[in-house]
Amino acid sequence: MKRIRKPQLALLALTMILSVVLSACGSSNSSTNTNGSKPANEASEGSPGGKPVTISFIHWRGEDAAVLDGIIKKFEAENSGIKVDTQVFPSDQYQSTAQAKLLDGSVGDVFASFPGAQFEAIAKAGLFTDLSDAPFLTNFTPSLIESGQKDGKQLAVPYQLVYNIPIYNVKLFEKYGIEVPKDWDGFLAAAEKLKQEGIVPIAFPGADIGPGQFMNPMVMNNAPDEDIFVKLEAGEAKLTDEWWVKTLSQFKELNDKGYFQKDALGTKGDAAGALFVQEKAAILATGSYQLVGNKKNNPELQQGLLAPITVPADQAVFEGIHTTTFMLAVNSKSKHPEEAKKFIVFLSRPDIAAEYANGTGQNVTVKDVEYTSEELKAVAEWTSKKTRFQPRFTIKNAEVQKAVTSSIQAVLGGTEPAKAAADAQAIVDQQIGK
Amino acid sequence: MKKYAKLLPFFVPGIALYLALFIYPTVTGFYYSLTDWDGLSPSYQFVGIDNYTNVAKDIIFRKSIVNNVKFMVAVVIVQTVVSLLLALQLSKQKKVNVALRSLYFVPTILSSVSVGFIWTFVYDPSLGLLNGLLEAVGLSSWTQNWLGDTGIAIFSIAAVQAWAHIGQMIILFVAGLQAIPEELVESAKLDGATRLQLFFRVIWPLLAPAAAIVVSYTTIQSFKAFDLVFTMTGGGPAYSTEILSTYIYNSAFMNYTFGKASTASVYFLLLISFITFLQFRALRTDRVSY
Repeated sequence: MKRIRKPQLALLALTMILSVVLSACGSSNSSTNTNGSKPANEASEGSPGGKPVTISFIHWRGEDAAVLDGIIKKFEAENSGIKVDTQVFPSDQYQSTAQAKLLDGSVGDVFASFPGAQFEAIAKAGLFTDLSDAPFLTNFTPSLIESGQKDGKQLAVPYQLVYNIPIYNVKLFEKYGIEVPKDWDGFLAAAEKLKQEGIVPIAFPGADIGPGQFMNPMVMNNAPDEDIFVKLEAGEAKLTDEWWVKTLSQFKELNDKGYFQKDALGTKGDAAGALFVQEKAAILATGSYQLVGNKKNNPELQQGLLAPITVPADQAVFEGIHTTTFMLAVNSKSKHPEEAKKFIVFLSRPDIAAEYANGTGQNVTVKDVEYTSEELKAVAEWTSKKTRFQPRFTIKNAEVQKAVTSSIQAVLGGTEPAKAAADAQAIVDQQIGK
Repeated sequence: MKKYAKLLPFFVPGIALYLALFIYPTVTGFYYSLTDWDGLSPSYQFVGIDNYTNVAKDIIFRKSIVNNVKFMVAVVIVQTVVSLLLALQLSKQKKVNVALRSLYFVPTILSSVSVGFIWTFVYDPSLGLLNGLLEAVGLSSWTQNWLGDTGIAIFSIAAVQAWAHIGQMIILFVAGLQAIPEELVESAKLDGATRLQLFFRVIWPLLAPAAAIVVSYTTIQSFKAFDLVFTMTGGGPAYSTEILSTYIYNSAFMNYTFGKASTASVYFLLLISFITFLQFRALRTDRVSY
């Protein structure tokens, strides 16, 4: 047998170490235990004798972890018998695996849910505790917690308020004498002016979040019926109808006229955000959740929200889109439901919600919250405007949702709107069994 | 036979692990493929072969198979040809060759999620390294929307898949080349064989077992590719990079139709088995002898 020489041995060892280190770096399965306490299932059980109880809180907002840790410390100080163990998962992983984690009740006494498909799946599995009679619900703006209701029961409480409408650069608009457009012609004229001035009118992350975000304000007035996608899934409306073909045609118009950046379909969220932050693009087709991040990257930036009005001004029914998400809930399998509810009660206090909002840069659904940052105040003004709940999240079937957003990508890829709509409708028909 | 009876207990751990980790999940997967289980609810209904007929008619499933075949053909051709060419250059036991083989192997040990993220940045149409490089050397007309063009996105990912695994295949080919008796090569040279004749008449037939392993392994690997597609495009734009594994993932974890996902997995298993069988037949490794 051949002996392994020292350099070969060293190379082998180095390779093995590298593979272990790099595998660890690249793992997509990692979860963060943000406060380092024991997992809930290892924690001491609550008992009538007053033994401390550890509840598990799972969510996907890694960017909020530091602020939430501070809030949890306050909660633990006020409730000496309760400890909170937090686990944070990447959002795509959370969407796919949270339900399974909740099943045996060992984690997620308190958990967050996305509205739409995930909320529906968790509700169907009976994992929500009914919170309908909880007194703390009065702390919330009633219209903003409706997305957590099903069959007349309040199953979850949306905590975050987001406006899914594009952000615009106020200074650039002022510099070129552009008014916030009130109709489709005005929107096109504004985009043309920006293009003529050498500015990318709209930074559109077509490779990932763009279609799912921008479709909402684009469709809101083309189909003012808030149940349009509910009807689509019921087979009572079709993507080949005028409202969606028109929306796709307007996407095509923006693309054909060069109002999106070059190769928009290959651009991801970070790259589109960079174009906006560097003031190379005047509009970022995402949502209010990026205001604070943009400001952090460019403190000189002055931002506002602007929804494209795709119809003549006198026919516009809605001014924008809102989403209430990060829906807090108590696991029906939890061994500590009372302690879990106490934690949600604590989060719903206006002073605590304000700490969360101002710390994370996210608006909240809790009433009487005082916002300190310019961006949050600007967003809060939108609560008085006529907005509708994000249409995309009214689609319960994830495949239907994907067919809808994919039809936008298809149009940007060169497919005619009518053909893209027909292709998407074929998938919808298949999903709903038509 | 009796004398072997004492040895039987030694098979138990291996068989138990095989049953628990392979046979049980496969049988369970087949069982769920006959149900409408959503992956969460405690109850479900038997639906017979409904899932099989529905999945077979599913537009996205069919698109996924087409994309998977495109992806597989591109990866198998590029990965096999490039790794063979490099292996022919690196088969001699020289220090520089050993170093180069290690270098080519490095992408193999990287996590595919990391590889996906790195290449997403490389391929970015406006800020990416690749288009920047092409523009810098005066090849602006070659710049592409690598992951955003529905016509080429699947091939852009296939190139990354090949890049990440070529080092592995070089090792297999080098092992095959080093096993070829030197005297056969020498005698062919003495008989006046040209380099091409030497390769096609002597080396390639003897390399067939290694090639069969490379091709079948690459086929299975490219069919099962998930991480790269998921991190780089998520199956988009407009389903142009949707492959079977992302279809199964979406069915199971995004749409909560585990029964349908299990059915697609059974089709997936049958398809890979069939293609691998055809490849082994085509390469006729049983006829090779030294």
